[in-house]
Amino acid sequence: MSRSARIALVVLLLAALTALAACGGGGGGGEAAPIKVGAIFDLTGPTSDVGAPYAEGIKGYVTWLNANGGINGRTIELISADYAYKVDQAEQLYSQFVGEGVVAFQGWGTGDTEALRSRIAADQIPFMSASYSANLVDPKEAPYNFVIGTTYSDQAIIAIKWAMDDWAAAGNEGKPKVALVHHDSPFGQSPVEDAKAFAEANGVEFISMAMPKGATDYVAELTRIQEFGANYIIIHTVSSPAAVFVKDAKAQGVEAKIINLNWCSDEFFIELAGDAAEGVYGVQPFTPPSVPVEGHKTPTEWAQANGKKVDVHFIQGWYTMDVMTAGIRKVIEEGKEVTGPNIKAALETLTNYETGGVTYPISFTPESHRGNLGSRIYQVSGGQWTQVTDYITAP
Amino acid sequence: MISGTFHTSYRSDMALRRTWLERLRLGLFIAFVLLFPFLAGKKPYPIFLMNQIGIATIGAIGLNILVGYTGQISLGQGAFMAVGAYTAGILSARFGVPWWLTIPIAALATAAVGALFGIPSLRLKGLYLAIATLAAQEIIIWVVTHWEAVTGGVDALVVPPPMVGNLRVNTDFRFYWIVWLLVGLTALLTANLFRTRYGRAFIAIRDQDIAAEVMGVNVFAYKLLAFAVSSFFVGTAGALIAHYRGIVTWERFTIDVSVLYLAMIIIGGLGSISGSLFGAAFMTLLPAFLTNVGRSLQGVFPMMEEFIPYLQQASFGLVIILFLILEPEGLKKIWEDIKNYFALWPFSY
Repeated sequence: MSRSARIALVVLLLAALTALAACGGGGGGGEAAPIKVGAIFDLTGPTSDVGAPYAEGIKGYVTWLNANGGINGRTIELISADYAYKVDQAEQLYSQFVGEGVVAFQGWGTGDTEALRSRIAADQIPFMSASYSANLVDPKEAPYNFVIGTTYSDQAIIAIKWAMDDWAAAGNEGKPKVALVHHDSPFGQSPVEDAKAFAEANGVEFISMAMPKGATDYVAELTRIQEFGANYIIIHTVSSPAAVFVKDAKAQGVEAKIINLNWCSDEFFIELAGDAAEGVYGVQPFTPPSVPVEGHKTPTEWAQANGKKVDVHFIQGWYTMDVMTAGIRKVIEEGKEVTGPNIKAALETLTNYETGGVTYPISFTPESHRGNLGSRIYQVSGGQWTQVTDYITAP
Repeated sequence: MISGTFHTSYRSDMALRRTWLERLRLGLFIAFVLLFPFLAGKKPYPIFLMNQIGIATIGAIGLNILVGYTGQISLGQGAFMAVGAYTAGILSARFGVPWWLTIPIAALATAAVGALFGIPSLRLKGLYLAIATLAAQEIIIWVVTHWEAVTGGVDALVVPPPMVGNLRVNTDFRFYWIVWLLVGLTALLTANLFRTRYGRAFIAIRDQDIAAEVMGVNVFAYKLLAFAVSSFFVGTAGALIAHYRGIVTWERFTIDVSVLYLAMIIIGGLGSISGSLFGAAFMTLLPAFLTNVGRSLQGVFPMMEEFIPYLQQASFGLVIILFLILEPEGLKKIWEDIKNYFALWPFSY
């Protein structure tokens, strides 16, 4: 490496540093200034297959809102970047965006949501993400986290509730046996305790097991489930391992009915599992586009006009932003300043907020940030999700 | 015109900084560190980045003691940080130990765990040791996520905010002073370590372990000591993360972190304290820089917008590859070349 090239490198680095230092500014502004909302997306990391459409949903909602008059004339400025599911990157971006004056934040996964939990409480930044872990709903533990989806625990309870009804409706005696297989991570572990407690309280025999990381088949797990004699298998993981599991189950002739929780009840699952997906049930807090409801109209029209694909994750992102906007709108309508604590207070007064049938009506209170109490059960039929039941709520 | 550095007393020959230029540079650097928060106008973001660099520097110096100075490769960095973070977190969350006391305890606990996982280094070298430390990474993370009685399992561990009187210490501005004080202590201890028989023994083992043994260096004991000393600093970095972020989750300490730290010391310079600092700064600032370039490009080329995140990832890899090809000895070497250039300026050849 020649000397001049070395000097050039150093100069470049210094330039980079100065540019960074210069980027810190912003904040403030007058009455009509846009409301800044921060967001981090996984567009290139391990969860980008579902993270990218979710991000499109959030961005799409903001673009649509601003094009349609914003919130009483005030627009939302979405400050966003890709963090590739890296926790330290998430913190870096969060800190930068807070420095730029964001008043609320859209996160994504379990990793970043958990890592930022203490920080958002200290900074008083209301936070929503696609992590529906039940330990985020207690404001004493996580005062600034708001959970839009039915929590994983509630989803598993809804699945067991439905399994009991379905079992009785088919004219069977006694109670069904339920197995829960889950991702080997905090995300996967999250509903296990609550599901077990609910099953035991209702006299349902229950086992749970983690799906080993990096497994190429789940024959061993299926053998254990067969020995246990499960009538219903709940899967709580992401689409690709769920698809492998379902294919293995079909190959082994497993009779039990399979119920996927939300992260494997999507279009990817059907694509990956192919024929094996037929007949699989799903608990999904967000109505998939294959079951059209009123609330799908605006996002679908916007997406078609802008060349975006509509899937359940797009809808999920769109309505997560919609609920956050509902909180901000309340603050503006009450004539208060748009700040983190005011948005939090406004969100905590949200009762039965309608999303046009996309979700169960959303409510928050100062005592509970468990916004969404119910999910419908869907089933794969003819290569798409179809509705089986109306909303089932968890106790 | 200086034609060399001549020492006329033992005192000056053995000084940590031997020329006035070295002392001046160190003074300037310390002044920069002291003034930085005020130059940055106490804005959280730049200070946050400096804190991240400081914590990474402590971790990188720790890893460098093992990899750069003693020649023992380790892929267990992330897990050792987890030991430090969880020890500090559990002690202050469950047992109410004062936060400042948890940092040295966590460092010592990590040193013990590090020495334990250093035992295979007696029989294993190079790639084999890499795999053994990879096992350490996986085992420790497995224990952390499954030993629910102690770590709380996969749930995040909330660490109470560190307080001094009524002041919460882990704001960006206040924590800055703790982090950089510890960076200073770490650098001072490490610099002096390699002026003692222990440090010399580490270097002898790196250069040729058989020769070292022949010279009377107890290779096994010193290898374990290297693991322990290295892990001590790595544990300090982990404890700092726990108190700074106020929450400990295992997802922060995965194998990616181990690889990231190895990249830091290779890019910064193996076997060098300043190299650890350069590497930590580089690996912290480069993604931040690329993200900001990406953001400023948003809206400039609407057609390209969807590709920006991918370009960011690709350029991150590209910059690292270029660095390694153009300057395999790392940023430290570039820094030395600059110093040499100006030492003889304007008559450099």
